[in-house]
Amino acid sequence: MANLALRNLTKSYGTTEVLHGITLDVADGEFVVFVGPSGCGKSTTLRMIAGLEETTSGIIEIGGREVNNLEPKERDIAMVFQNYAIYPHMSVKKNIAFGLRSSKMPKADKEKRIQEVAGILDMTDLLDRKPSQLSGGQRQRVAIGRAMVRDPAVFLFDEPLSNLDAQLRTQMRLEIKKLHQRVGNTIIFVTHDQVEAMTMADRIVIMKDGHIQQVGTPTEVFHKPANTFVARFIGAPSMNLLSGELDGTLVRLNADRQVRIPGVAAGGATNILLGVRPDDLHLDSANPILSGKVTLLEPLGAETLIYVDTPSGEIIAKADGRNPPQVGDAVQLGAAPENLHVFDSASGEALT
Amino acid sequence: MYQKLTIRQKQIVWAWAFLAVPVLFYCVIRFYPTANAMLISFQDWNLLGDRTWAGFENYQKLWNDPVFWKVFRNTFVYLLLGTPVSLVLSFVIAYHLDKLRFMHGFLRMLYFLPFMTSAVAMAWVWRWFYQDVPIGLFNNILAGFGIPQISFLNSTTNALPAVLAPAVWAGLGFQVIIFMAGLRAIPTSYYEAAKIDGVGWFTVLTQITLPLLRPTIIFIVVFSSIGFLRIFDHVFNMTTNNPGGPLNSTKPLVLMIYDTAFNGFDMGYAAAQTVVLFTILLIVSLIQLRLLRSE
Repeated sequence: MANLALRNLTKSYGTTEVLHGITLDVADGEFVVFVGPSGCGKSTTLRMIAGLEETTSGIIEIGGREVNNLEPKERDIAMVFQNYAIYPHMSVKKNIAFGLRSSKMPKADKEKRIQEVAGILDMTDLLDRKPSQLSGGQRQRVAIGRAMVRDPAVFLFDEPLSNLDAQLRTQMRLEIKKLHQRVGNTIIFVTHDQVEAMTMADRIVIMKDGHIQQVGTPTEVFHKPANTFVARFIGAPSMNLLSGELDGTLVRLNADRQVRIPGVAAGGATNILLGVRPDDLHLDSANPILSGKVTLLEPLGAETLIYVDTPSGEIIAKADGRNPPQVGDAVQLGAAPENLHVFDSASGEALT
Repeated sequence: MYQKLTIRQKQIVWAWAFLAVPVLFYCVIRFYPTANAMLISFQDWNLLGDRTWAGFENYQKLWNDPVFWKVFRNTFVYLLLGTPVSLVLSFVIAYHLDKLRFMHGFLRMLYFLPFMTSAVAMAWVWRWFYQDVPIGLFNNILAGFGIPQISFLNSTTNALPAVLAPAVWAGLGFQVIIFMAGLRAIPTSYYEAAKIDGVGWFTVLTQITLPLLRPTIIFIVVFSSIGFLRIFDHVFNMTTNNPGGPLNSTKPLVLMIYDTAFNGFDMGYAAAQTVVLFTILLIVSLIQLRLLRSE
């Protein structure tokens, strides 16, 4: 087990730079999830850590040792691929054993290790099967098993759940998290799914266009998004962003509505975006910050999402699942001031 | 009436409408002559006179014909030498060409070119390569190094490999293309996973690449085997003065059939040889499919 450090990592293909200086410290045993839209550079970063892509500049350290010029096998890592990369012509056991092929361990120890891993992953009775006889989730476990037998310092997961159906994905999410609690290795996990990131990570790294947008625990990135991109990317449905003006700690929205925000960095821009999550925006006729007409309802059972047409544009709010307003109703919406976020409308940076 | 048919029946009607032409073609051009050849193999016929019943006479004659056994052996030497050699060569070329970016398309074109070239032209060029000094290319090169002359086409031992070489070369381009398609179909993540597991290139080749190329290999083996069992034009053109010579050392079965039919005008005997060739092709293909089929 070991920590991992990225120092000002860049990657260029020809003259196009796709990663612009990634710096990150991952502690020993930490579960870090890289998340971002496709093309943000998260997979490239992972492949550079694995040694499958060369680094253009910057330093990668695993366990305090610079690994830039080491072959993948010398980096003490293991990787689980999106398509699992398990060999269709080999049995499960041979697939798992493939991870140990180059190790100089005695044969009996290898066998013991395979059995041990199969036990942890609950697939001792599947060892003699061929991958074609396995379900998607089982194949996924074989791929994880092959990574586990190597007992690497760092596990790398490249969108391993995206080929599974929704239900299985939820289940594997839990299994991987439990596995991490049990074996305790450092894990770097790449995904484009913010729910996966939120549910699994100790810390989330949110990336966009080759830049890190924010690094923080799931709670931090959800409640204290560093900018509008993070605010909209994390959480579903996305945060509402309303344009307004900042005057001291007072935010004025389009109409005559205004709201005082505690702790906003005064003296900043005057043009701002006011962010409020649908979860925090409720029917409130006592202290409304917005009013408008309901255009659409999305019942989710316990609660109902309501789409409201307001002078600041269409926004989403949450109402009780039992007594939601009806389409066409005029509603007034309010939120607790501490749940409001203020962003500079030019740079998108958070001001709260 | 058509209107009253069910959707399924209408589909069948259309399917047969489109199938009618190829079915007719196959019956007239393929199945009828095949059946006729089998019939002729039990008859005597000189192409002009009447066909008379001969029973198993032609087959008995074949069994007792030393030339047939020589030709039979030659045919299998073409097969057993040509198929593995062309398989290994084309795989080695495809394997390395696949890793090459520089001039990839140009090199691929160069390898494919002989496949598009007429076998006759090629055979005559190779014939020139094989001549004695001062004409032949190979012997001139040998002479340049002071190495004694090799008689390629005039030696009973060298002639067959000398004829086989251009045949292998001609088929190479096609096999290289097929192998490259097979190699491209293997997901790169398999290789990346192996790289992370730290296994050497030989393990990757024998444990990953070759097993996953199995369907491609089966196709090429069966395809090229049939080609070598039917070898004719290279032999005929490289030994025109004495087809299949010297002393029948290069004569394949198809050339013997041609000779019997159109020089000897013994159609019954030629048909019997054809039936034997057909049987050999069938058996060899079936054995290969059985052996190479995945468990």
